[in-house]
Amino acid sequence: MVPSSMADTATGTGGAVLTARAVRLGLRATDKWDAIRQSGDLLREIGAVEDPYPASMRERERSISTYLGEGFAIPHGTDEARRHVLRTALGFLQFPDGVDWDGNRVDVCVAIAADGDEHIHVLSALAKILMDHEAAEKLRRAEDVDTVLALLTTHRKDPTA
Amino acid sequence: MTSINGSDVRKLIIACDAGMGSSVMVAAQLAKSLKKYSVRVEHSPVNTIPADADVVLCQQGLVARARRSAPDKVVLGFQMFIGDPLFGQVEAAIRDGAELNG
Repeated sequence: MVPSSMADTATGTGGAVLTARAVRLGLRATDKWDAIRQSGDLLREIGAVEDPYPASMRERERSISTYLGEGFAIPHGTDEARRHVLRTALGFLQFPDGVDWDGNRVDVCVAIAADGDEHIHVLSALAKILMDHEAAEKLRRAEDVDTVLALLTTHRKDPTA
Repeated sequence: MTSINGSDVRKLIIACDAGMGSSVMVAAQLAKSLKKYSVRVEHSPVNTIPADADVVLCQQGLVARARRSAPDKVVLGFQMFIGDPLFGQVEAAIRDGAELNG
């Protein structure tokens, strides 16, 4: 994979990478492994990955946690499993009761399948949201799919910039 | 240990295992804060760090692998994806032309 400059990716087609179909609200998970299994199942269901990519997501999590902060985790596969990514796509899985993630509470998993850089603008938006406590809360508590898509795929001017 | 003066940094690589998630999140934050110093920020899998990288940042647990992958580069480890103190330290070194060792 050729890394590309972050500066070149300010605009993009967020709708193609994160679609309404891949946003799942109000889920329940018994533990983080269950949440990761659901993340892998979702990526497979939307046709983004084939086996054994979902299993590699557990492997990746065992080596280093994908917990990000602010109640978000980003489960994804290993470099080796990248060849089982059929298209770059993200899934959004919300667990309103929270999932214990090695002592941290996770409310949202952003599942990642990437074989390119098309998803960078969505993750950039997520990084920005996580630095803004209020926006992070809004995303964690979102009650409809449109709110999630608007927060992650719309490019708003940062009012504090 | 390798060192570089912050003012000589032109390309910063954020590395993680797959180069598809964690490193992208960190690169997104740093690309914005380092743009004004004309520093390019890219993300990469830890095993394929580009040859023209000046400094490599990765999670603490991947530092040894990053050093094997890029033995002549300054490699620095961070603990948190969002708001790790290292990110501010790197920006300060680039801004002030201070040495980065790692």
